[in-house]
Amino acid sequence: MVNDMRALLHDAAAAPPADDIDLATVLAGGRQRLRRRRARLAGGLAVVVVGTVALGTVVGRDADGRDTPAASAVPRPEGPVVRLADARQAKEGVDYDVVASQTNDNLDAANGRYFDGVTEDGKILFRDGPHGPENSMRYALLDPATGHKDWLPRFPEHQQVFPLELGRDRLVLLTAGNDRGTGLRAWVYDRAARTWASIAWAGLPDEADLSKTEIGPGGRLYVGVPATVGSPPPGGWPTGPDGEADDAGATGETYDLWSVSLTDSTDAREEGLRVGDIAFTDDAMVWSAATNGKNDRIHVRDLATGAEHDFDPHSGARCNLLGFGALDDRIVLSQYCGTYDNGRDDRVQVLTTDGDLVTTLQGNGLDGWVTGGVVRVTAHDPARPGTYVYEPDTGRFARVSDGNSSWGLGGPVPDGYLLWDTPVGTASDPQEPIPGATQWLARWR
Amino acid sequence: MRDDSEFVAFAQGSRDRLRRTAYLLCGDWDRAADHVQDALIRVYVAWPRLTRAGREYAYARRALVSVVLDHARRRSSSELVVEPDVHRPDGVDVAELVSARETLLQVMAELPPRQRACVVLRYFDDLSVADTAKALGCSEGTVKSQTARALDRLRSVFEDSSLGELTLGAGTW
Repeated sequence: MVNDMRALLHDAAAAPPADDIDLATVLAGGRQRLRRRRARLAGGLAVVVVGTVALGTVVGRDADGRDTPAASAVPRPEGPVVRLADARQAKEGVDYDVVASQTNDNLDAANGRYFDGVTEDGKILFRDGPHGPENSMRYALLDPATGHKDWLPRFPEHQQVFPLELGRDRLVLLTAGNDRGTGLRAWVYDRAARTWASIAWAGLPDEADLSKTEIGPGGRLYVGVPATVGSPPPGGWPTGPDGEADDAGATGETYDLWSVSLTDSTDAREEGLRVGDIAFTDDAMVWSAATNGKNDRIHVRDLATGAEHDFDPHSGARCNLLGFGALDDRIVLSQYCGTYDNGRDDRVQVLTTDGDLVTTLQGNGLDGWVTGGVVRVTAHDPARPGTYVYEPDTGRFARVSDGNSSWGLGGPVPDGYLLWDTPVGTASDPQEPIPGATQWLARWR
Repeated sequence: MRDDSEFVAFAQGSRDRLRRTAYLLCGDWDRAADHVQDALIRVYVAWPRLTRAGREYAYARRALVSVVLDHARRRSSSELVVEPDVHRPDGVDVAELVSARETLLQVMAELPPRQRACVVLRYFDDLSVADTAKALGCSEGTVKSQTARALDRLRSVFEDSSLGELTLGAGTW
C-alpha cells in the first residue's frame, strides 16, 4: 500500500469546522498596535512608520468643557494647554546648531546607513546595513567634528537591534532573545577592550518584552513581562466620526517587572511589581499602573529611601497611555484620547513627580517622548506637520522641521542633542512611504 | 485616513487557506483560528508596505508560522534537544491507528515545531526549499536537514506499521 504525503495532508485539512475568525478583532488589534508603535522611541532598523494619520481638521480653539465621551468636539484637558500653533519657528544658529546629517535616498528599495544615536561623549553610533542574505550590519563610532569613522569589530547579530545605552565606556544594544521575536538578549560593547559580548538570562521568562526595557541609574536593566492585556468590548470598538474603530478609553495592559544584570547572566530577579510603563530620573523610579489603555495612577519611588507616593495624573477619561518618560522632576505622558468631529485628540501631558499639572500639548495627530533632555514632539497634522521641541523647565516650544520622514530612525542621545529626520523624495501613492530620509543631528541650545 | 478595504478583502480571501496551514502546523482547529487572527493583525500593521509588491500572502504565511512557533515555544521552553530515534516509533501505537491520515497527524504532532513546519510548508503549501527558508527565517540548508529528519521519522513509522509506504508522489525524499 502506498500513501502519498501531499494527498494525506490535503485530506487532513479538507474539512475544517466553521470559521470563527473575527475580522473586527483583527482590525481593532491592528489599529491599536499602530497607535502604540507610533508612540515608541524610534530606533533599530529603518521601518516604515505606518501609523501616520491623514487628518483634515485642525483641533479648534473653540473646544470647551472637560472630557466628555460623547462630545463632538475635541475637549480641553485640565490645566494649562499648549497647541502646535503656539510653537515658534526654531532657527539654526539661535536654537540649535546642526553638527551632522545623513541622507538615504530610497529606503524602500534597500537599507542604507543610519545614525542610531549619540554616545555620552558625542560620537555618533553609525550603522551600515543590514545588507545581504544574512542581514549583516556593521557599526562605527563617527566623530562629527572630523567625519572619521572608527569601525567596530564585526557585529555578529543578524536580528533587529535596539540601542539602549550609549556610554563612554560601553554600548548596550538589545535584540530579541530568540528568532521568534520574544525574550531578550543584550550585546555589550566594551569601548576600551574593543570587544562585543552577548548576554542572556536563563532565569528571565521567554515572554520578556523587548520594547519594555529601561536602564536604571545603577546600570541594571529593567524589563517587563506581559501580565494582563485588555480586549475589545463585546461587539467591538465603536466607530468614530472618521469611520475608524475608536479604542479610546481602552483597558490597559500590565507587565510584571523584572531586572537583570548586564554583567551576570545568572542575575535575573522578579521585582514583585506590576506596572504599565516605567522610567527613571536620577533619583526616582516612576511607573504607570497600566499602558496602551487608560491609566489613572502614577507611582514614584525614591531610589535613595525607598519611599513611595502615587497620584492621579488627571488624564482625560478617554485617554490611552501610549508613551511614558521622565526628565528631572517631570513626567511625560503621550496619549491618544479619542477622535471627534473636529479631529483626533492627542496629548502630551507633562506633570511634576508630585502630581502637579505643568502643561498639556494637545493636537490633531501628535506624539511625544523624552530625549536629549527635552520632549520631542512629532506632529502628523497636515496643517502643521514636523518635529517640535518642548522644554519642560523653561516652557520653550519650537518647531524644528515642517515634515516627517516615513521611517522610524534614530536612537538615544545625551542631554543637549537633538536627532530628527525629514522626508526626501515623493511617495508614489498616498498609501506608500516617502522613499528617502535625512537624519539631522544638532546641539540644542 | 487609512483605507482598510483592501486588507479586509485580502483577509477574507486568505483566511481559509491560512487556517488550513495553521491547523497542520498546530493540530487544533480552534488554536489555528487564534493563530490566523494573530497573524492577520501583524499583516495589518505591515499592510501599507506589502500591497505594492504582491507579496501579501507570503508575508501572511510567514507571520503565521512565526505566531505558531512563538506559541509552541511558550508552551514548552525548549524544542526537542535529542533527535528522535527514527527506527523506534516512540509514543505511537500503530496498531490502534485507524488510518494513514491519523497516523501522519499523530507523528507530526511529535515532531519538533520547525521540522513540522518544514513538512507543512514543503508538502502542503508546496513551497520550494528557498521559499520555505524565507518563511521560516532560516537557511536553505537548515530546511533541507530539518525536512530530511522529519521525513525519516514519518517514513519509519509507516514502514513499521501495516499501513505501507509513505511517498511524496512524483517527488523524492
